[in-house]
Amino acid sequence: MNRHSFGPSWYRSLIICLFLGFVSSATAGVWEGGDPVKGEQLFNANCASCHKINKEVLAAPGLGGIAERWSASEELLVQWIQNPQAAAASGDPYIKSLVERYVPTFGWMAAQAVSEADIADIMAYVQNPPGKTEVVDTGDACPTIDDLDQGSSNSSATIWFIILFVLFLIIAVSASNVRFSLNNAMRESEGGERLAPISYGMQIRAWAWKNLVFVSLIGLFVVAYVAVVGYQSAMDVGVYEGYRPEQPIQFWHSIHVCENEVDCQYCHSSASKSKHAGIPSTNVCMNCHKGIKNGKRWGEKEIGKIYDAIGFDPTSGQYIENYEEKPIAWTKVHNLPDHVYFNHSQHVAVGGLECQNCHGDVAKFTVGRIAPVEEINALIDDYPTLIQLSKPTLTMGWCIECHNKAEVDLTKSGYYEEIHNRLKKEIRGNEELRNYLGDDKVTVKELGGWECSKCHY
Amino acid sequence: MAENKRYWSGLDELNKTEAYKEALAVEFQGQQSVDEFLGDERLKETNTGRRDFLKFMGFSITAATLAACETPVVKSIPYVNKPEEITPGIANYYASTYFDGQDFGSVLVKTREGRPIFIKGNKEYGFGGGVLNARINSSVLGLYDSARIQSPMIGKSASDWNTVDEKIMAALSAAKRVAIVSGSVISPSTTRAINEFKARYNADHVQYEAISYQGMRDANQNAFGKAAIPMYHFDKAKVIVSIAADFLSTWLTGNVFAADYAKGRRPEGAWMSKHFQFESAMSVTGTNADARYMISPSQEGKLAAAILDRLNGGNAGVEGVEEGALVKAVAALKANKGNALVVAGSNDVNVQMIVNAINMSLDSYGNTIDIKNPLRAFAGDDRAFAKLVNDMKSGAVDAVIFYGTNPVYSYHNAPDLRDAMSKVATKVSFNLVADETASLCDFCCPDNHYLESWNDLSMVEGRVDLVQPAITPLFNTRQAQTSLLKWCGNAADYYTYLRQTHNAGYTADMMNTDQSWNAAVHNGCMMKAVAEAPAEMEAEVSAPALDVAGAIAAVTAIKGGSFELATYLKAGIGNGSQAANPWLQELPDPVTKVTWDNYVTMAQSDMESMNLNTYLAQRDHASLVKVTANGMEVILPAYPQPGQKPGTVGIALGYGRGAGNENIGRAAFQTKENGEHIVGEDGLFVPIGKNVFPMTTVQNGTPVYANFSVEVVAAEGTYPLACTQMHHTYMGRDSVVKETSYSAFKAEADKPKGKASWNMAHGLAVHEDVNGDGVINAQDKKPISDFDLWHEHPVEGVGHRWGMTIDLSSCIGCGSCITACHIENNVPVVGKDEVLRHRDMHWMRIDRFYSSDYSLERGEEEGLGAIDTYGRMEHPSANPQTVHMPMMCQHCNHAPCETVCPVLATTHSNEGLNQMTYNRCIGTRYCANNCPYKVRRFNWFNYMGYDKFKNFNPSQDSLSRMVLNPDVTVRARGVMEKCSMCVQRIQTGKLDAKKAGTPVADGAVVSACSEACPTHAITFGDLNDNKSNVRGISQNNRAYHALEEVGVQPNIYYMAKVRNTEDQEA
Repeated sequence: MNRHSFGPSWYRSLIICLFLGFVSSATAGVWEGGDPVKGEQLFNANCASCHKINKEVLAAPGLGGIAERWSASEELLVQWIQNPQAAAASGDPYIKSLVERYVPTFGWMAAQAVSEADIADIMAYVQNPPGKTEVVDTGDACPTIDDLDQGSSNSSATIWFIILFVLFLIIAVSASNVRFSLNNAMRESEGGERLAPISYGMQIRAWAWKNLVFVSLIGLFVVAYVAVVGYQSAMDVGVYEGYRPEQPIQFWHSIHVCENEVDCQYCHSSASKSKHAGIPSTNVCMNCHKGIKNGKRWGEKEIGKIYDAIGFDPTSGQYIENYEEKPIAWTKVHNLPDHVYFNHSQHVAVGGLECQNCHGDVAKFTVGRIAPVEEINALIDDYPTLIQLSKPTLTMGWCIECHNKAEVDLTKSGYYEEIHNRLKKEIRGNEELRNYLGDDKVTVKELGGWECSKCHY
Repeated sequence: MAENKRYWSGLDELNKTEAYKEALAVEFQGQQSVDEFLGDERLKETNTGRRDFLKFMGFSITAATLAACETPVVKSIPYVNKPEEITPGIANYYASTYFDGQDFGSVLVKTREGRPIFIKGNKEYGFGGGVLNARINSSVLGLYDSARIQSPMIGKSASDWNTVDEKIMAALSAAKRVAIVSGSVISPSTTRAINEFKARYNADHVQYEAISYQGMRDANQNAFGKAAIPMYHFDKAKVIVSIAADFLSTWLTGNVFAADYAKGRRPEGAWMSKHFQFESAMSVTGTNADARYMISPSQEGKLAAAILDRLNGGNAGVEGVEEGALVKAVAALKANKGNALVVAGSNDVNVQMIVNAINMSLDSYGNTIDIKNPLRAFAGDDRAFAKLVNDMKSGAVDAVIFYGTNPVYSYHNAPDLRDAMSKVATKVSFNLVADETASLCDFCCPDNHYLESWNDLSMVEGRVDLVQPAITPLFNTRQAQTSLLKWCGNAADYYTYLRQTHNAGYTADMMNTDQSWNAAVHNGCMMKAVAEAPAEMEAEVSAPALDVAGAIAAVTAIKGGSFELATYLKAGIGNGSQAANPWLQELPDPVTKVTWDNYVTMAQSDMESMNLNTYLAQRDHASLVKVTANGMEVILPAYPQPGQKPGTVGIALGYGRGAGNENIGRAAFQTKENGEHIVGEDGLFVPIGKNVFPMTTVQNGTPVYANFSVEVVAAEGTYPLACTQMHHTYMGRDSVVKETSYSAFKAEADKPKGKASWNMAHGLAVHEDVNGDGVINAQDKKPISDFDLWHEHPVEGVGHRWGMTIDLSSCIGCGSCITACHIENNVPVVGKDEVLRHRDMHWMRIDRFYSSDYSLERGEEEGLGAIDTYGRMEHPSANPQTVHMPMMCQHCNHAPCETVCPVLATTHSNEGLNQMTYNRCIGTRYCANNCPYKVRRFNWFNYMGYDKFKNFNPSQDSLSRMVLNPDVTVRARGVMEKCSMCVQRIQTGKLDAKKAGTPVADGAVVSACSEACPTHAITFGDLNDNKSNVRGISQNNRAYHALEEVGVQPNIYYMAKVRNTEDQEA
């Protein structure tokens, strides 16, 4: 990083602050007086997809330490954000150096629709992010669920159990054969007749008759065991908690969501508009990966697959002309049966649910995965509005359990207000409303969320 | 009404045949009972023992269980570069225009993820209010037709555009005479391109249409010096006399006329039109007439002459037409001078001349007829085409290009045309499929489907409707205009060319910046100032009566034979251009209710005299008759058609497509029980029906679609007709239809709902003295609403209550709603064999009832003997009145189906829907048995996988499967299905409102049927919304519930039909 080294940073900041404080008596500058809380919102909405809060380069230089670096005027900073090309035209040497350094790789920054006051807020946040300490090595701060999962397999025990059982069977059969031969040998030595060879089945039957009580108890146990195991496995049919199929690209959610704090809906942008949350199209990946060519974990290998799909040459930084695009065939993770209609926007835009309510702590995922319900429930500390559920994720029981618990505020939207008014107006509706309000809340179920044709048609 | 009138769906029901009674008793036809099954001797020959059976069963259960456990791996493939306007899961709509020479409609194309899946009317900006018909809304399937030619062809082998262009240009340059044969060209840009081509190659341009209207154009040429088709305004006509013009269905722009006609049919309005229809076969228009009279095709001109004579004070009559009919019609016309309209379907210039004279003396021009701004379509020129055929035969033509027309199929003298084509060195076709004409051509240069094309269409002066592509071309096809331009050395693509037509200074950088163009593309049309009509035109229109003496003499001289043939066009198949569209083939004909077939409609009396079977049921196959005309004979089944003039037969045109096994689409051919195509003796697939274009005659150089002398004799054998009229009967309950006359309606128009004599609320007699007259008798009735078997379902005030009203006065029975429903809801196509077994899957049907006001009971009351009574009953059935009644799930608030379902697969929602949950259904079919309306359909097969349906079910073709609506489940075998009131649309509408934070606006949610209805007979909405249209209509005094006495409290209301039958009311 190129620094203008004229002293320790606190000293410099002090001087700048003093200087700016002096200037700001005339006009409020961008370097101070901003509201860091507002700034955080603005930053996340407008800047975070390309700029990091520290000094790391994402799809643009990180904004950490911008106050120290920025050697051009404040007016130029504002202009640079609002209209980068115009600012570049001013011929300022610092801006020129920025253009030379970053534009060839990342392209021009899009003009941002933010006011000067907004910029002051953002700068306040950038200079002093509340409650955030600079993470030096982000890798350790973002563990993945898969790391945590490792070594929790119990399949080896089953295999040992089966091997032991087979050994026992072999020993039992040979023992009985040995016994039979010895018996015969004894009889022969005593001059008696050889016993007619009897089949294993008859032997077992004879043995079972002899030990009736023991066999009955064991039999009872086996029947009970089969019933219980059968019931459990039948209940697991169609339950895909923890399902994490192989994907064509090692897309790690933890790197994007946890380390780089990309908002869910930046990529899954139709979640608030459509029934599908949408797997991002490759051009959305390219918004960042035009610049980020080297992945932290997989190097160029996985990111190279994006370039291969869209036809981008990372060395020249240009798209290849007349390239035959190769769409990426992801494996679908959240499979609902064909007869289920599910609409993301209903839940995200209307219901106001957090993504985590159904998808869990995606920030800890590697590739896409169905979060088990217990794992989701455990997030309650971070998301107080989370609805606690008991049925396995993505089963119908889970859906309708939530529809029974989720409340609807009848006063917040013109749509529900109209429904509420109708209920209040009619005697019949009044009765219904009183029923609804027996527990002081109107749930999704009470408004018809348990009716078949809400999801099946 | 049921009390004094008898309704029947067909002659079987009228005469209570055995087959009809059987149909009443059995809900599911063609089923064996358990006793029958076990009693079957053949069963003993099988050698599957009980143990084997158990083994098989155990094995299959295990296999099925294991298969169900497997996690399906589904791939999800996002765009690489997502187009900005597409959000997966959200539909986009694009305004476009449909025009195929026969139909014209402004459409909105619904696309999902870039695939067009539904066509609806462009109501806001469209021509004539953007009304469509069944043929237009089914046209979306043509896009995904795997029979389309997928690349340019030389002969039968695929080629590429460069080679084809080179060869064609070489041939054209060498040719001395070139001709383009096209359908009506109403596009300014296409005209420009054709003119450019004509100039380059000194070519002729001949317009040819399968259905010609040249007789009318000639007549207008004679009368006004303008060979034009005027625009008719049925909404302004208080009296309509139609002489065999099926103007509500297939005559000119029938869809627009239907919408206009319905405006004048509202009894609540200031006036109600009176409609007289004179025709031989029962047409859709005829079924809607207030007064319908039967005439032969040869009498059309004579009738027109008689009307003209009587308007001028004469008293001419027509043999066989009752005097009263003429007197009434003429009196009504005279009384409404200036508001009257007479139309004739004949293509004989003489008939049209006389009709022009009639309209002139009635002051119709300028009032109900607009000749100043005529319709530009329907411009087929038969004489020019006949001349071209002659020139081709003589070898004078070296190259001919066919564009959007198929004369080898529809020309009345096809052998002559084939012969002529064989003498032309270079034949080029732009047709989309290798049809009868294209398969004879040397080069096929397939045009884009209209959903892949740009075009501008100017049907009338003052507006240009735009065709815009809704998808990029699926195949290696090229728009015909681009080909034409290319061949005359203009490398411009047609889009640029089209833009330049409307803005000479257009350049590519203006593509997106011209706001007026963007608005026009958005709206689907450009409006321009109408040029003033020339002054001399005014003078001619108001000129005194035309000299039509010659015409009268000519039509009077026409002699009819012992049998006359009147051909007609069906609402589904039309002129046959969409014969391979299974949706249209399976659409029951509005009048005969026959699917998948062509037949001869005959009068019952004629059939009896020939000893033909007059009943149609699954086991009573239709008799075959042989019709001979123009030296050609066809053998077709005979259909007993009430209302058919004795001595005439009717056969639909548009059938017998692909007789030479041209690859026009698999659904155009007959299939066997196992779904394989039937192969005829000649080794070719057997087409559906017979082509009777060659049976028509030519009068004064124009084909009249009739033959005045044909021979009809009984033929050997029978033939099964898949007719739905006996399916789903009401078990003898007649109280579904309510109707009244206009005068009776007017007399009690102000009475509240349930009080007028023509729409009395139903009451049930109870054993208590309700009316307080001291006696307990049948007069002591309590309203139906007092009786309840179940706890009342919350209805009022609880959220939404979706409902529909259906106005029987407006419904013309056209069937647009059926195809719209079919397409929207992924309803399976089942094919003829399954329809024969009463297993059609249409979620909605249109019950067509015939009625007379005579019944056995009335005969008894009047003390008539049995013979006299039957005699009277026979009379009306020869020319009955007709009611069309759309019938679908009534979404009863007290639904009988819900209580009998053992697994709660059908339940009631608090939004008033009777919801059907397919994944719960185990197929007991109790619900269908218990439904009083017979609207539930059972999935007998896996229609998207079973071989029986492979040749016609769109979901079995990987290409046409694209048309399925992704928001609606494709139902599996073994489950019930029925109308869901388009619940997917309701859910979407509600979600949009929730996202916007506003109440659901009235009209924001419409069902597919309501959207498709050209006459606005069906209104959909929220009955709990006090301001909604549907709520208002449901409280109208004409509103009633079908089968009200059953007390199931439906959410669908019907409006009693009002007929303007009184003579004085005209």
